[in-house]
Amino acid sequence: MRAGRPSSFCRNQSTVIASAPPLLPGVKPGAGGKAFISSGIRDLDRILGGGFLLGSVVMVMEDAEAPHHLLLLRNFMAQGVVHRQLLFAAPAEEPRTFLGTLPAPVVAFKEDRQRGPRSDHDGQEQSLRIAWQYKKYFGEQQASETYKDAKEFSTDFDLRKSLDRRMLSLQNIDCVSLLKFSTIAPLRELCSSFLSKLTGNDVSVGCAARIAILSLCAPQCRYSDWDMISFVRTLRAMIRSCKAVAVITFPSSVLSPSFLKRWQHLADTLLSVRSVADDDENLAKLLTGYQDMVGLLHVHKVAQVNTQVPVILEANTFSLKLHRRRSLVLERLNQAPVDGSSGTSYGTSGPCSASTKSSSIDF
Amino acid sequence: MAESICRTLRDGSLEGEHATALTIKDSLQSPVGTQAFQHILYSLAANIVAGKSQAQGLVLVVFDHSPFFYLSLLTKKGLDASLLEKNLKVLDCYSDPLGWKERILQSGSAKRETVKESDNIFRDVNDMNKLLSSILDFGKGFAGEGNSHFSIAIDSVSTVLRHASLPSVAGLISNLRSLDQVSSMLWLLHTDLHEPRTIAAIEYISSIVASLEPMVPITDGQNGSENLFWLEKNSQNGKFHVRLKRRNGRVKLLIEEFHMEQAGIKFTPLSSENVVVGQVLMPKLQFNLQLSENERDDRARVVLPFEHQGNGEPIQIYDGRRSLIGSERDHSVLQQEPLPAETEAQSKQVKGEIHYIRDSDDEQVDSDEDPDDDLDI
Repeated sequence: MRAGRPSSFCRNQSTVIASAPPLLPGVKPGAGGKAFISSGIRDLDRILGGGFLLGSVVMVMEDAEAPHHLLLLRNFMAQGVVHRQLLFAAPAEEPRTFLGTLPAPVVAFKEDRQRGPRSDHDGQEQSLRIAWQYKKYFGEQQASETYKDAKEFSTDFDLRKSLDRRMLSLQNIDCVSLLKFSTIAPLRELCSSFLSKLTGNDVSVGCAARIAILSLCAPQCRYSDWDMISFVRTLRAMIRSCKAVAVITFPSSVLSPSFLKRWQHLADTLLSVRSVADDDENLAKLLTGYQDMVGLLHVHKVAQVNTQVPVILEANTFSLKLHRRRSLVLERLNQAPVDGSSGTSYGTSGPCSASTKSSSIDF
Repeated sequence: MAESICRTLRDGSLEGEHATALTIKDSLQSPVGTQAFQHILYSLAANIVAGKSQAQGLVLVVFDHSPFFYLSLLTKKGLDASLLEKNLKVLDCYSDPLGWKERILQSGSAKRETVKESDNIFRDVNDMNKLLSSILDFGKGFAGEGNSHFSIAIDSVSTVLRHASLPSVAGLISNLRSLDQVSSMLWLLHTDLHEPRTIAAIEYISSIVASLEPMVPITDGQNGSENLFWLEKNSQNGKFHVRLKRRNGRVKLLIEEFHMEQAGIKFTPLSSENVVVGQVLMPKLQFNLQLSENERDDRARVVLPFEHQGNGEPIQIYDGRRSLIGSERDHSVLQQEPLPAETEAQSKQVKGEIHYIRDSDDEQVDSDEDPDDDLDI
């Protein structure tokens, strides 16, 4: 860019603005024409590289023993309520009651910034300190520079307080019970009508829609396996053409293995939550922060739409912690300092590799 | 521990939470499920009768044994019969589950047996909705002050699954669990009778899973006489694995041993020779390179030797070549160095230290051989 002489090549400003898609509330643009909406959990947005990709289906594999998928779903739904677009389906008689358990957005922002500025503070200090945490600086700076409206994109939620009832009765927030239907066709109709109502053909009108389905293949549901697979495929096609994101949680242990594979392949982004054993001495010795951990989150797949660049994460497993019982925090697993005097420092890495052969966890 | 299960069932559930639900699983290899169920049922009934539990009554839905069997079992073990009558109601699905006897009686209307039929006979086991409403009616019968809670025990869910499909049974159980008046539930399941998917579904909707495992599982390939020996042993002893889902999302694992005796089943803590270390599934870890506040302060206070302290003196780096004058000056500089360090250290209370833990202590001490020693240039 030469500052002095006017170049013969100048940007045609008007066409640039017209061709760029108008920003919808709550949608963040990313590289390569991607658009993200927030999952409601800041850490998860950061891990997935911006949030849930608009037009993708996110599946969460539940663990039979831990209800952490509810935490993820609640944050997603609360974010949807804040942005006023949500359809929710659950295998319960009264799904509205689940809406009552959604967390409320945190009003006071000054406390939440405690975690963030600490790293910035370090960076400004004397340069004699060796930068252990240099990776943290890169990621956050890039992300914060490109998107100014961070507050509007994702809000922090206080899990101890529940959402204001008045927000739930606004329009565009809809609940449906999975038990009412004996086949899955009505659900499909509902989803398509919801999506067309919200997104519409007119680009300027509308907002990003969210669909949250809790425990789609729960034992109480009477749908046949093939019906559910075809429903998810149709949903995926509908969502890909609209500006929407669907989050579906399903109990993976209830499906037969071949269908479980099919479900996993249908997902654009696949996450799974796992429980953690209580009072496990081995785990306590191996990890720091074991006491606060409530569970583990594993990222199997991240959505890749319209791109050939694969998303390779540094780590795939994160620990779920409740920061002061208020907000959900995802952290990488940290190994506890090894006791060198016992002489088995190389031995402790043994169980890490030996035991993963029995599981499909990424190592 | 069977004790902790009994305590959890006794305590029931909190407001707004689903009821505690226990699944007792057994298999052919360790077929003592019914005895374990009776043991836990007895302790729950004792707690209810004594008034120690959240529930004021117990609804027992029997499929495999007659109601009389259970009443005599509980009174034999020491519960007062009159109190029991007040707090226990039995829904009889054993005598005439599909209503055949009634239909036979109706069709052959002349003969009417003088069997006293109690009102509690349930004749429509195929219909889960009807079962649900009958259980609820029984539960409402425990009129207490305010919210009356009651517990439900189902003799065996395996039998229910024979009559109705999995979605309807799962629906029944989860509907019962979600009611406010139900404080806890327990049921028995025989794993050999069902597909793994069914068992996984029932485990999914329960909050405690207790499984009875044999000491040594018998496989078909083993020697005949050894098989018989273990068969004998497994029917008397075994391991009791319990997985408790806690409210914070963690899972508590407990293992005990059980022994069959004349009086019933007895649970004892695990003897050491049978302890199996659980596999720890560990994903990729990173070392924690972040320091806490205290650690950062300590690190700031460490005085590293030969560090450029920046105390105003010209920085002298010893490079092995020094003149005599220079060495004197160096000497003095070196002597002076500790002083500023000391004052610096004195200004802070504690002098920080670095503790170095050798990675490989299996090497002998002072065996820092220079690996370049055997270079032959």
